[in-house]
Amino acid sequence: MMLEVKKLEAGYGKLQVLRAVDLNVGRESVGLFGPNGAGKTTLINTIMGIVEARSGDIVLEGKSINKLKTHEIARAGIALVPQERELFPGMSVADNLELGAAFVPRGKAVIKKQLEMVFGLFPILKERYAQLVGTMSGGQQRMVAIGRALMAKPSLLILDEPSLGLQPSIVAEVFERLAILKKEVAILVTEQNVRESLKAIDRGYVMENGAVVLEDSATGLATNPHVISAYLGI
Amino acid sequence: MLKKQSLPKVAAVAAIFVAIILWRPTVLIYGLQAAGLYASIAIPMGLVLGIVHIVNLAHGEIMMVAAYSSYMLCSWLGIDPYISLIPVAIITAIFGFIIYRLTIRQTLKAPELNQLILTFGIAISLTQLANIVFTSQTRKMSFSYVSASMDIGELSFGIYNFVFLVAAIVLAYGLKFFLHKTVAGKAALAVGQNPRGAAIVGIDVDKTYGLIFALACALVGAMGAMFITRSAVFPSVGSPFTMKSFCLIAMAGIGNIPGILGASVLLGVSENFLKAFRATRGWADIVFFVLIISVILGRSIRGKRA
Repeated sequence: MMLEVKKLEAGYGKLQVLRAVDLNVGRESVGLFGPNGAGKTTLINTIMGIVEARSGDIVLEGKSINKLKTHEIARAGIALVPQERELFPGMSVADNLELGAAFVPRGKAVIKKQLEMVFGLFPILKERYAQLVGTMSGGQQRMVAIGRALMAKPSLLILDEPSLGLQPSIVAEVFERLAILKKEVAILVTEQNVRESLKAIDRGYVMENGAVVLEDSATGLATNPHVISAYLGI
Repeated sequence: MLKKQSLPKVAAVAAIFVAIILWRPTVLIYGLQAAGLYASIAIPMGLVLGIVHIVNLAHGEIMMVAAYSSYMLCSWLGIDPYISLIPVAIITAIFGFIIYRLTIRQTLKAPELNQLILTFGIAISLTQLANIVFTSQTRKMSFSYVSASMDIGELSFGIYNFVFLVAAIVLAYGLKFFLHKTVAGKAALAVGQNPRGAAIVGIDVDKTYGLIFALACALVGAMGAMFITRSAVFPSVGSPFTMKSFCLIAMAGIGNIPGILGASVLLGVSENFLKAFRATRGWADIVFFVLIISVILGRSIRGKRA
């Protein structure tokens, strides 16, 4: 198993957000769905060590990463594409991509190969290689953020709301790329655009009020009456 | 880029500047020498303030600690300040790292006012500590090479202080190279622009802050060792340099390290221009404030128009 989340509880101050969350990701693409405030981003941030876990365990490739700091978790093999992208706006695309690999041992060793892979996925990044990231559009910045994460050659790629703020044509493009990527890397993606993301995932979880309420295959979720009425708007 | 409409004004100012300099060449010579000193002390502050956004009001006092350390090493061991430069830089780097770990680190996530008050407190503590240990008596060392001079026609002037200009140029372009061409430098830029984003890509943010702060302390420490070759040391010697450094960074624009050189030249030449005339000699200290206010006001007005 690539990632195991066991009975995870977390929150902010007195506010309890995650309630005994169990989640597994193998060598596959997993979706995490739910309404605003369900706890998806808190779960991602807890896995990444940005939010401290109150109890439970997070295991990456058999090793507990519960007590590690964010940069150590990144070095251990998880790459995150955050909702807010979290790029370095005053630096070029080249520098942003380079920094994605420079501090992660497995990425550092294959920097050229990963760069070719990223350019293959997002050819526009090759054209805009020297451009400052802060001057790019939201969609292009999202591509830089995904490219930067892939530069680390992660064992698990986590994407938090990759379609947020993007125009529909770009959203479709991002999910097309994710469908290609799942052959090379395990993926955990949180998304409110359930319809598009179901095309790119193998399995999915639905979270509500900080707890996992449903787990099924992509096909199972697409035919589930609760998912259809709450998330597919049918 | 300069707008076409601004060109005649800039050309006129430059022409006046050149004419005055030809009339009083010492203005340029001593202006550049003063600029070198200002810039060489301000550039390390530019690294912590402009790149990783730590406000350090104890910057000049760290230079003062370095100057005393160099003074003691030179007095006890009979060595030249330039030989003491490396051990002093190491001492101030360690000192800076300890200050960062024990104090500044705790304020990074708090509003910047906390850093201001904290480092202002550190500055006062260091000055008072120096007062207790060394008393307020000034200490000065003499070195024969400091009196080196040059004659051009009838003009004779000291050349030693150009060493600070050379040091400032080396520092500015060395740091520019470090920040833009090395992975460690890019990591520092990344931490300054987005600490959370930096952690996500595996950069140890806390360590980077500490190392950049220690590097800035090492550099200002080295300048402190050089400083004793030209000036006396006393407990409050660093304080004016903190303020001048802070303002030069603001004039250059936060994060623009080579720009600090330009701002220092403007300040140094302007000060020495006023010093060149008996009637305006006393105004030299005021020019600093006039320049900083003009530059910041001008920038604000341009910003509003844009």
